[in-house]
Amino acid sequence: MSDRSQLLDAGRPFAFDETREAEFTRLEPRYPERDSLIMPALWLVQEQQGWISREAMEYVAERTGAYHAQVFELATFYTMYHLRPPGKHHICICRTLSCYLREKQLLVDWLAANLDLVPGAVTEDGRFSLEEVECLGHCGSAPVVQVDGVFYEDMDEEKLGALIEDLRSEAI
Amino acid sequence: MTISPVSILSARFDVEDAHLLAVAREQGAYATLDTLFDMTPDDVTEEVKNSGLRGRGGAGFPAGIKWSFLPKDTGKPVYLTVNADESEPATFKDRYIIVRDPHLLIEGIIICCYAIGCHDAYIYIRGEYTSQYEILRSAVEEAYAAGYLGESVAGHDFSLQLTIHRGAGAYICGEETALLESIEGKKGQPRSKPPFPAVVGLYGCPTIINNVQTIASLPYILANGAAAYRAYGTEKSPGTHLFGISGHVERPGMYELPLGLPLLGVIDEVAGGVWRGRGLKAVIPGGSSTPVLTAEEAATVTLDYESMAAHKTMFGSGGIVVLDETVDMVRVVENLIQFYHHESCGQCTPCREGLGWMEKLVRKLLAGEGSHADIDLLLELCDNIEMKTVCVLSAACTMPVRSYLVKFRHEFEACVTEHSAAAQPAQNLEAAP
Amino acid sequence: MSEKVTLSVNGHEVRVAAGANLIDALEAVGIDIPHFCYHPALGADGNCRMCLVEIEDGRPPIVPACKTPAAEGMKVVLESEKIKKIQRDILEMELINHPVDCPVCDQAGECTLQDYYMKFDLGDSRMDVAQVKKDKRLDFGGGVVHDQERCVLCGRCVRFTRQITKTGELGIVNRADQARVAIFPGKPLNNRYALNVVELCPVGAMTSRDFRFKQRVWFLKKTPGVCHGCATGCSITIDHHREKYKDARIYRYRARHNPLINGYFICDDGRLSYHLENENRLETPLVKGVPVTPTEALDAVRTHLGQAKYPLVVVSPDCSLEQLYAAQMFCLEHGAKVSGYSAAAIVAGDGDDYLIKDDKAANRPSLNLLGIDTSREYLREALGHADLVITLNNDPFTDGADADLSEMMKGITTIACATHHCEFFDNADIVLPIASYSEYAGSVINSDGVLQRFGRAVVKNRPVPELLELLHALGGPVADMGAAWAGMRTAVAPLGAVDPDKIGEHGMRLEGL
Repeated sequence: MSDRSQLLDAGRPFAFDETREAEFTRLEPRYPERDSLIMPALWLVQEQQGWISREAMEYVAERTGAYHAQVFELATFYTMYHLRPPGKHHICICRTLSCYLREKQLLVDWLAANLDLVPGAVTEDGRFSLEEVECLGHCGSAPVVQVDGVFYEDMDEEKLGALIEDLRSEAI
Repeated sequence: MTISPVSILSARFDVEDAHLLAVAREQGAYATLDTLFDMTPDDVTEEVKNSGLRGRGGAGFPAGIKWSFLPKDTGKPVYLTVNADESEPATFKDRYIIVRDPHLLIEGIIICCYAIGCHDAYIYIRGEYTSQYEILRSAVEEAYAAGYLGESVAGHDFSLQLTIHRGAGAYICGEETALLESIEGKKGQPRSKPPFPAVVGLYGCPTIINNVQTIASLPYILANGAAAYRAYGTEKSPGTHLFGISGHVERPGMYELPLGLPLLGVIDEVAGGVWRGRGLKAVIPGGSSTPVLTAEEAATVTLDYESMAAHKTMFGSGGIVVLDETVDMVRVVENLIQFYHHESCGQCTPCREGLGWMEKLVRKLLAGEGSHADIDLLLELCDNIEMKTVCVLSAACTMPVRSYLVKFRHEFEACVTEHSAAAQPAQNLEAAP
Repeated sequence: MSEKVTLSVNGHEVRVAAGANLIDALEAVGIDIPHFCYHPALGADGNCRMCLVEIEDGRPPIVPACKTPAAEGMKVVLESEKIKKIQRDILEMELINHPVDCPVCDQAGECTLQDYYMKFDLGDSRMDVAQVKKDKRLDFGGGVVHDQERCVLCGRCVRFTRQITKTGELGIVNRADQARVAIFPGKPLNNRYALNVVELCPVGAMTSRDFRFKQRVWFLKKTPGVCHGCATGCSITIDHHREKYKDARIYRYRARHNPLINGYFICDDGRLSYHLENENRLETPLVKGVPVTPTEALDAVRTHLGQAKYPLVVVSPDCSLEQLYAAQMFCLEHGAKVSGYSAAAIVAGDGDDYLIKDDKAANRPSLNLLGIDTSREYLREALGHADLVITLNNDPFTDGADADLSEMMKGITTIACATHHCEFFDNADIVLPIASYSEYAGSVINSDGVLQRFGRAVVKNRPVPELLELLHALGGPVADMGAAWAGMRTAVAPLGAVDPDKIGEHGMRLEGL
């Protein structure tokens, strides 16, 4: 992994909106210890804001009663938490063995050639970000691409191109 | 011999909308609960022991025996945590159960909890399973609404709360104590054992951790009896398994098969054989952590725990990866080490520091800058790291890596020789005439 | 006495405490098992893997000693080739991404990594690929500077802030070889014990801003001492050194393990209180503000003593037990009254439930033990008719609440036997510099009734007299430490059975206080 410890400020304080507040309240009695709420709370932050800012981590520490450093630990240990704003559409391409064997590199190369998008980056218009991730558990339908949480199986360059076109037109 | 899949776990996989309670119930979901509550918890455990069901997470430990390790009357709650962190490369069986038949899993959870006296269960599902989480969550909500979960399970004097906890991107949380740490709101760093989770587990209480597939096997055993389950598979590896076949085959996918079938037969007859008409180079038999089998070795192995052990590899998770003759094994090793390096929790010195070093050494070979000594160093590092750590993540890396280095050493040597021109020492100008 | 078990280590039988982990159990019989992460105050974590030992017939055969309780009949192997190789291999892993910047590292000379390398490895580096780069010179607050590249991720510092101070400022973020100790941005170390993480750190990752680059540790002389920062009287090690062409000075205090008092830790105020020993010290005797020789000063005091009808001696609750006794005897000899009133040393509300006390005096219980009156009334009454006040390092009148006492002092001849400059001492009629606690041997009793002895640590180029000598020179009957103890053992019941030479490094709890 790369270093994830340089936190970014959103420049504004964070607080759960009504939906997330309700979900957090639902979860509270499900755990005998409040530390267990840190991960769900970080998920809620990400759901609401798209990423997890320093301010949001402070908020999670306050809401759960955990040490700030512990929230910091969790946010940086678990790699699905975005510590930078991703693109409007976040593309994950599985890089691990089965997808590698079924030529996931063609997909990565296609994005580089057509969107000028490389792993770890966001397109200039902020529309797409790309991450090469470890095994997504769809090895039988490799290569697999996950966009905004939705899985696209048995991918090839053509299907990826069509998908990007769809997302692009939707974005406009 | 004709090999064809069976339908014990996967009976409802192809039923449309079987993830919905109404459909699942129509197809027999929760039918075992009446018999369940007529039995004593010990009877249930006994039945599961008799079935010979082995843990389907990879280690293959007999499930009923694991349950019997719980200390009695500690005055503390007993927890069940269901391991749905399925992150072992090449493994995707639990996802099928979660998506296609979540009520089978919930029914299994009720059976297990009744047997072990647990009233508070958690499912730890990997964060990457997003839509899968949504399906599981609605299934759980439906089960609560229908009274299969909650204060009085199916109208019986048994309460059960079930909470889904989402991971957030960490392979190591599939290790059972890392999983517990993660639910407790810490980094997923495995605990030293002893104490084992059955004694000191979640929140310091006795805890059973079982894999999704293990739990999902329970309704069949309860409905049909241990003997019916044992009718499938072999003496020491009874039952069926969801085999995920991936890599270079014509029909990759998920197939439920009894244990004990010949590996090559399964690859050829079930998965359509090696793709693109190519020859077979090697097979990873049970997830990326299991040592690789050469085509020759693969010819004699059967899909059960004993045969895999006899071939010095492991049954693992049932995730079979087929590698065709064109595969560059050095690249495969690079891919695998990068995975384990990325997923090392960073706790123990050898794994934390060593896997990165190994990754760089392989890259050095691939860049044509390596030497024969680097290959030996890689092999030595496998020994130096393996089993020196709290958990087996490091071994999950070094065992397969060693197998590639030993069985396909010539491919690593070729990295050195091919680039030997570049590796020539610079011409000594002093010595020039 | 705890139960003992017999186990064999490298084939030799040893008797050790049952149930203790192998590191502690074997350390007690003089056998060291190398380790980074284990610390007796923080428990076993098991992450460094340096303490792996072989258990013959054990399952598993290789276990971390820190997590393995000593058991009857256990056969521990530390010297096998297998274990030696593991130790070398673990060290190699610790070192591959370590900067090996010992020449500029403060920890050099007392670094576990360096020591183990010398002891177990001495091999050349095989690491010829790029190292992992991390951050350096991070200001963690509390005077702690962190170097992530030197860190071995043992987590002692993190566990300290979670288990001991319960402030949790530190964490290990990221994972794999990117793992590093960090503070949350804007939430630095903010507790009064933070500098213990520097001492806990087995390597040079945590350094003290106060001590960084000040002195090479191998030059430091290490003398056991007792912190005089408050009534807890933590056991410390005084690290001091006389640089060429300079005077001896103290460079740092470190916690000295004492199960009766402070365990393994001390507070930051106490740790940094060594500065007071180095700075602002009185060095030259003064009569009416004019520097004089020690002999001239003593003569002047004798004259005043001879003339005074109602001398009053005010002692400090920081004086040693022996000094207080000598002062008491001095007063008897000269018909002087003696007061131990010193409200200024109490900072109400400053203490906590751990080591820090409101009372900043190191030896107040000794005043009560010797029967020296500490009440304000007594002092006020005595001042009412005193014609000579000799203060033995007590500055009781700086506090505004005692302004009436200062008022009463005006016009009374004052002799200050003192360690440091302060307005009151500097304006006394006669000023006699005396040695401070790092410069004499003595005993103190802490607020829990634990009596500790300490030796003389620092010898200055131009030593000033110790109070005991000074009082003797002025006609006090107690000639030295031996005489003080002989007298006290007869006169002070709780000390009757105490052999001062057998008090031991941890001190002893006094009965009958």
